[in-house]
Amino acid sequence: MATAKKSKAKKSTPKKTAPRRAVIVGGVRTPFIRSFGSLTRLDTIALGVAAVKGALEARDVRWSDVQSMVWGGVVLPSQSVNIGREIALDAGLPPNVECTTMTRACTSSLFTAAMAAAAVERGEADVVIAGGSDSCSNAELKMPQSLMHKMAPTIMNRKSGPVDYVKAASKLRPGKDLVPQQPAVKERTTGELMGESAEAMAERNGITREAQDALAFQSHERAAAAVASGRFADEIVPVDAPGGKRVLADNIIRGDVTLEKLAKLRSAFKKDGTLTAGNSSALTDGAAAVVIMSEEKARALGYTDLVAFKSWSFDAVDPADQLLMGPAISMPHATQRAGMKLTDVDIVDIHEAFAAQVLAVIKMMGNEEFGRQRLGLKGAFGDIDPTNINLHGGSIALGHPFAATGARMVTTMANELIATGKGTALLGICGAGGVSAGAVLEQI
Amino acid sequence: MSDYLVNLGTKPAARKAIGAMGLPIPLPQKLARCSKPWTDRPLQDRNVVVGQHAAGELGDVLARTLAAAGADPHVVVGEEGLAPYLKHGEAHGRKVCNLAADAKPGGKTHALVFDATGLETPADLKPVYEFFHGRLRSLARCGRAIVITRPADCAGDALKAAAYHGLDGFVRSMAREMGRKGSTAHIVNVVPGAEERIEPLLRFLLSERSAYISGQAFRVTDLVVKDGGATNGVSGHRRPLDGKVALVTGAARGIGAETARALAREGARVVIMDRPSEDGPASVLAAELGGTMLACDITADDAADVIAAHLDEHHKGHLDVVIHNAGVTRDKMLVNMDEQRWDMVMEVNLLALIRVNEALRPKIRAGGRIVCLSSVVGIAGNAGQSNYTASKAGLIGYVRAIAPHMAQQGIAVNAVAPGFIETKMTAGIPVATREVSRRLCNLSQGGLPQDIAETITYLSSPGAAGLCGNVVRICGGNFIGA
Repeated sequence: MATAKKSKAKKSTPKKTAPRRAVIVGGVRTPFIRSFGSLTRLDTIALGVAAVKGALEARDVRWSDVQSMVWGGVVLPSQSVNIGREIALDAGLPPNVECTTMTRACTSSLFTAAMAAAAVERGEADVVIAGGSDSCSNAELKMPQSLMHKMAPTIMNRKSGPVDYVKAASKLRPGKDLVPQQPAVKERTTGELMGESAEAMAERNGITREAQDALAFQSHERAAAAVASGRFADEIVPVDAPGGKRVLADNIIRGDVTLEKLAKLRSAFKKDGTLTAGNSSALTDGAAAVVIMSEEKARALGYTDLVAFKSWSFDAVDPADQLLMGPAISMPHATQRAGMKLTDVDIVDIHEAFAAQVLAVIKMMGNEEFGRQRLGLKGAFGDIDPTNINLHGGSIALGHPFAATGARMVTTMANELIATGKGTALLGICGAGGVSAGAVLEQI
Repeated sequence: MSDYLVNLGTKPAARKAIGAMGLPIPLPQKLARCSKPWTDRPLQDRNVVVGQHAAGELGDVLARTLAAAGADPHVVVGEEGLAPYLKHGEAHGRKVCNLAADAKPGGKTHALVFDATGLETPADLKPVYEFFHGRLRSLARCGRAIVITRPADCAGDALKAAAYHGLDGFVRSMAREMGRKGSTAHIVNVVPGAEERIEPLLRFLLSERSAYISGQAFRVTDLVVKDGGATNGVSGHRRPLDGKVALVTGAARGIGAETARALAREGARVVIMDRPSEDGPASVLAAELGGTMLACDITADDAADVIAAHLDEHHKGHLDVVIHNAGVTRDKMLVNMDEQRWDMVMEVNLLALIRVNEALRPKIRAGGRIVCLSSVVGIAGNAGQSNYTASKAGLIGYVRAIAPHMAQQGIAVNAVAPGFIETKMTAGIPVATREVSRRLCNLSQGGLPQDIAETITYLSSPGAAGLCGNVVRICGGNFIGA
């Protein structure tokens, strides 16, 4: 101890206590269902309610202990954007539970989990719920803004009479003012569909169709095996859909898929391209929630198997370059912040927006010059074998409700560390706008 | 101020009709220009074909420059030269296309770059000829051709010197031939040890910001002492003048105003200096750019003190970039030129400039830049402008003399020499003279104030550290002047 000799000085300084640590007590998700399927009539708030209630029940948390909720959403309803608050109210949580909604594309619920952990570690709360939900089935059809610009002055003027309405309406052009805009997974700045960006990444990084299909096959095979073995039984809560149907399980996983079937699919984003519906993630409805507590509180409540964030890194790259390359920056950053090297990591889990994007990111992390120029390292971050990631499948097989994927990965990886007794897991997620997230989880 | 032939040339029907009628009217290519803020990848997704003579020494820096600038490199460098392109291509996700000696890349070629640093004898000029001979036809309109070599005075032996200097003539001729399609060619002479400094110059020359520079020779040296905070990481190319204070003289109108706008766009806090009679447009411009206005006549005895006081009051005494733009013309044939005309032009264009510059020199911070506006007629001479050309040629002498000294303080001093630029001033020239002046260059058209502004902005940026005492002609490759 450096201060041992200075006994006088030591007496005068206040006793140092160990910093507060936030722990992940557990999490659940709803079944992930292809959009416009059996969850169509449940909006993002209803899905969030199912996940939050399920998480509290699964981990036997008293509702009165919950102090705060940090929720994520990407396809947000314009009438009630702070969906976190609506979820808490609909779920029946005490009205004084403080709620925030954050949006950070597909990294949203890894971000909310990290922010919840940060709040706990700052001493702002002892029990926080984090998570995210999305329902592409309930994306809003947006009327052109010009409709409002032309009609609002008349509608908002109390003195407007029928003649004024007719006058205003006569200025409308049916083609431009009355046709709703179709929602699309499209970059605002570049106008590119996300699949087109991923297709360009495949081309620029030399990722073959075969390699993409192999990763997609692996994803489905492993997810199907995990379901069959009951690995997800504690992670999925059933959801009651209107009409009395109880939705119990994911519906995108194809246990019977073969490489031959995948090879027959047509390219989805470009003529003679390599990306197909089979090696890309599908539009999905679902929600996921995790319960985060201070370690002290968790231990006092009797929780024993605990996992904590060792580090995280949130980054961004130029969307006009390689939109989805961010994990190649964030995963090494998070590992460095944890004081670790890739060889110290036990499990790697990467969100599969597209197989091409995952393989490109892995290629970048294994490239010496990329390590030197983009990460400031002496060489490559490290080689990752694509067959060693996503042990129970990824977003291609499980589905990808944008804002729920982060919390899904945190839950699955926390459970994996506990089940296998391994030490650390490295997570990586890419997102629209060129944002990305990386995190290291450790078992404590 | 618009050029009717350039406008006519943009209409395919007019082009076709004039061609069909066999009229001897040259239709100049409308130049592709860029006045948006600097980006990290000015060459995004553009094909650049790179060649190299056997022992070329710039493979690594060229490969890095192109990959980082977003270009798709197509290389003709042999197996041993391929490694750096693969290495940097992978780091930036740029697939390298290895072209066989006579193949062409898919799609249009934006630029041809040849590394001729390995030339040993004049016979080695043959591969240079072969490289460009086979590929010039596939070059897109407004394309670029760049040859990089060593200065002849650094050759060490006569054969090498002959080879290096031979390239000079080759590139100038190529530039004359390419101008019809709006394309330009340049030669970059790199002094040994300054290899790393060609990257920003290449980014500038290969981009649309150098549209009106043609047939120019650049000398890249390591004379300017670099400060530690030069380019860094992926975003080092955006807003290169962030936090810098730039003084532009004669900034109220024309080229000065356009330059001030470009400098402010890249992050500089600009001092708009002009005569007190120009305070109206100067203050409007200062408000537009968030800069400060300084009403001061550069010929006043206390001009340097007034500038210093303004800098102290508004900019904490900081000064990083000085653009000596203020200038006047009072044309008359020498036999008719009265003393007043001579004195006035010499005073504004040269004597006052030197006086103010000498006084400001100690105030300029390390990493600073000085750019003086000379003129192509200062290089070539012009009837009726003996006063003007004497002042502008004198300026070149001054720049070349102080540049090596200021380089030791980390300050790069360079000059630009505009040719025929479409401004209100040139719009007043009689039609016949104007028409002749416009067409007597490789690109067969006049330049725009933004062409000067973009070049000055580059010369003001940290990336101009390789240039010291260069005179950059922005004249579309004028037929007169070297």
